[in-house]
Amino acid sequence: MSDDAIQVSGVVKRYGATTAVDNVSFNVAQGEFVSLLGPSGCGKTTTLRMIAGFVEPTAGALRVNDRDVTHLPPEKRELGFVFQNYALWPHMTVAENVGFGLKLRRKSRTFIREKIAESLSVTGLSGYEDRLPRQLSGGQQQRVALARALALEPQVLLMDEPLSNLDRALRVTMRRELKELQARMKMTTLYVTHDQEEALSLSNRVVIMNKGRVEQVAAPYELYENPATSFVADFVGITNFLEGSAVGVDGGSMGVRLRSGQVLRAVAKTAVTPGAEVRALIRPERVTLTTKPVDGENVLSGQVILSEYFGAVLRYSVRLDGGEILRAEVHNFDNFVETGAKVWICVLPEHLRIIPQEGQG
Amino acid sequence: MIRRVLPPLAPALIALLVFVAFPMLWVVRTSFNELEAGAYIVDALTLDNYTRFLGDSWYLINTLWFSIRIALIATAISVVCAYPVALYIARTAGLQRNILLALIMAPLLIGLVTLVYGWIVIFRGGGLLNSLMIALHVYDQPVRYMWDIKGVVILLVYIGAPYVVLSLLDSIERISPFLVEAARNVGASRWTAFWKIVFPLTMPGLYAGIVIVFALNFSAFAVPLMIGDSNTQMIGLVVYREALLNNDLPFASALSVIMVAVNAMILMGMAVFFGRLILNRLEVKR
Repeated sequence: MSDDAIQVSGVVKRYGATTAVDNVSFNVAQGEFVSLLGPSGCGKTTTLRMIAGFVEPTAGALRVNDRDVTHLPPEKRELGFVFQNYALWPHMTVAENVGFGLKLRRKSRTFIREKIAESLSVTGLSGYEDRLPRQLSGGQQQRVALARALALEPQVLLMDEPLSNLDRALRVTMRRELKELQARMKMTTLYVTHDQEEALSLSNRVVIMNKGRVEQVAAPYELYENPATSFVADFVGITNFLEGSAVGVDGGSMGVRLRSGQVLRAVAKTAVTPGAEVRALIRPERVTLTTKPVDGENVLSGQVILSEYFGAVLRYSVRLDGGEILRAEVHNFDNFVETGAKVWICVLPEHLRIIPQEGQG
Repeated sequence: MIRRVLPPLAPALIALLVFVAFPMLWVVRTSFNELEAGAYIVDALTLDNYTRFLGDSWYLINTLWFSIRIALIATAISVVCAYPVALYIARTAGLQRNILLALIMAPLLIGLVTLVYGWIVIFRGGGLLNSLMIALHVYDQPVRYMWDIKGVVILLVYIGAPYVVLSLLDSIERISPFLVEAARNVGASRWTAFWKIVFPLTMPGLYAGIVIVFALNFSAFAVPLMIGDSNTQMIGLVVYREALLNNDLPFASALSVIMVAVNAMILMGMAVFFGRLILNRLEVKR
């Protein structure tokens, strides 16, 4: 027995010569909200569709609630699924859409009616029972799709970019509602998205995928603060990469020697052999920027080549003396720095991460 | 609106008026005339031609009801034959699909007479089918397919089925595969998903196909003429016999009016039936 609601182990999907999903493994615990995040074509949707049974895996095993479902047809898997384009049956009313699965299970008429009413009230659609899908807005259709999945009380809910067809304002509202709903119903949820904001704000853990492989599985905070690969660092949030080689600096800390020869100190979190090619990773909002010369450790100097004013935040692109471009984001407490100004940038060692360059670890 | 649309449509409208509306009106007018001494048409305003047909149970049973029945049977068989073909083609792509579509449409491109003679070669007494069946010892005596109502139905199906395939194909391809997956996900087997989701959603195509094929079958003329025997009293054929063999244009005109009217009534009935059944739900009402 295990606590995991979903276990994906070594799953592979090949279409002819192309490998869409390449040896993907991860688990989703009972009641957990996990997102599959990645750029389009990274295999996240294929992975979800394999769990739902719409796509047959080439290799690997899938377990849902400790039952091997790898070769089970979709109708035997007892999973809720919400489609990106809602996939409501156009010839059925809202009530018929929501009640279809219950009717197939030969539940009593009164039970079905109660269940439909309950699901629609949870999704805020009471009173819409007799409407047809085409008489509803996109947001309402998405709620019906959700109600249809919830009506069967699945232990596991799979969602394939359910909010991506909605406009931005509605997406944010629906996202909050979804989070509240999931927290209330404590339903294990696996959620596919290419929107990092969605993934970070909704999930307990995020599975980052790229080119059919899992790059990192971690909680949103870990993902942002301690990305395992430069892909993750780049995909989640905005990051500066400074290339250089690793150098050992006294005791517990590490350093990176930039091309300019300057050494930046970092707190070691991953083992890197001295001399290896590495990238130093600095989040734009983690730097301090001044127009007054500063001396000391981890100070870089450069010239502002672009300054953008956004009200609450100021964004600068700075060409460092070593030639690299560094982006900095500063809250609007200080004075606005004009393009062309000479600036000094300071990074604390704990905000500087060192990761091996791609292909070397 | 009308002012803008009218000029470009004018040539077509004039052609319609000259070649369709006027002849139709002429037919309607002729249907009230009398035939004197079996040879001369006399202008009159009589309903005799109509009562001769509608008041005669032999005509009603052997021509009108017979035509409706044959048209319905041929339409039904066309649908049964066409549905699986359309489903199959919908799942193909590329070259395979183009070849299949070409094969489906080929009979529509060949002239009707050529088509029928092709079938006669296969189906006649000593034809390919009978020779094959006898060689395979399925039966010993040639079976009569042609010059019989069986042959008429076979050919009507052969001509009608491609229309049904094409109109169904359009409907099937509009159905998002996600709709079927959604049904499977909530517990429907392949079969249930087909009957509850795919089949109802193909109704618009099925309806269009049935309407085209029924109208063609009901007023069929060439096929019963070439294949039917003397008992094949399909209404279109009777119109031809009365007009061109018996020279009774007033009666033939009345028959034509009745044929068009019955056809229209049946099609309207189908519209109401399919509308109530499902189409009203699928189409946007204004």
